Amino acid sequence: MSRIDNSFFMFGHRRLRGNSGISPTYQLGTTLGRTEQSDAAGEGNSSYKPFAQAEDSALVAAVLARDRKATAEFVSRYADRIYSYIYSRLMPRADLVEDLVQEVFLAAWQSLASFRGQSPLDSWLLGIARHKVEDHYRLRLRAADPLDENPEESKAGTMAPDLDQKLDEERLRERTLRVLANLPEHYRLALLWRYWEKCPAQEMAARTGKTEKSIERLLARARDQFRKEWKDA
Amino acid sequence: MPDKNQEEELFEHFAAGIEPGVSTTIQAPSRLRSRIYSALMLLESAQGRLRSIPATKAEGHDLCVFEELVRIAPVGQKLRSLNICRLCHARLLGEVMENPPIYWGNCPYVDFKKP
Repeated sequence: MSRIDNSFFMFGHRRLRGNSGISPTYQLGTTLGRTEQSDAAGEGNSSYKPFAQAEDSALVAAVLARDRKATAEFVSRYADRIYSYIYSRLMPRADLVEDLVQEVFLAAWQSLASFRGQSPLDSWLLGIARHKVEDHYRLRLRAADPLDENPEESKAGTMAPDLDQKLDEERLRERTLRVLANLPEHYRLALLWRYWEKCPAQEMAARTGKTEKSIERLLARARDQFRKEWKDA
Repeated sequence: MPDKNQEEELFEHFAAGIEPGVSTTIQAPSRLRSRIYSALMLLESAQGRLRSIPATKAEGHDLCVFEELVRIAPVGQKLRSLNICRLCHARLLGEVMENPPIYWGNCPYVDFKKP
């Protein structure tokens, strides 16, 4: 299972209201029961577990049968997770997040018949979301001006001493978000793609039509800028 | 200039430990959920007839007041499979307003509202 999936399993789930009907094939409104159990157990947001494979398969079958209620359940169950993931990868461009989330659902619906239930449905959806995000990075970086042909020598030093600070995880996350948000878009996307999506520089180069050297220069500049922003954040 | 490999390792380590943003799932806006649902229903309708409202009821789902009216009305199968949300003002409100003022039960656009 990928790191991204693991990180999302740490997250909680939205409370879903209103679906009280019981289907013979899958239970509507199970998000409600799941959240209530988690809250009652005091586990907060770290208790998310993917839906059972049979439940996923039944939901997919119902959506494929063009069942309107199942389709609503499909959206309710997974919109938050897809939204959160894309938000974390596109911020601060909130204006683009909604369009991309919608694209993910439409793409997922179009290939839903190929879902075999070998992995949880949310992982499958996150895989589609990841492709969409990488497509976005590819297009934006391909269009980016070649500002990095003659990078200056870095004078910012390493980031390690700052990372040694005893910041709690939440503050570290927020600071990371703030620093990334302050970077020029092509720096931000390059870092997210390379380090958070774990895409090798060689592959980034191939997908953007740039040379590997050019991508490495871009990454070096982006890291340098990240460190500078980190000191000021 | 910092050592390139050290830099790479540092950033890889950093990214592996820290997800940007907040640790909790961010709720998608209700209007986004509404738009996605409407778009999916349009696609499904274009592909063929939706599962009929009586069949949906028979599957154990609760119906909204308008769906219930269609279910009991003496109409043909085609109308019973109609995407009636397309004609409903709840859809219009749900797609443009965050937490729209619609309150009746078993309507997806009501369920998409944030708690």
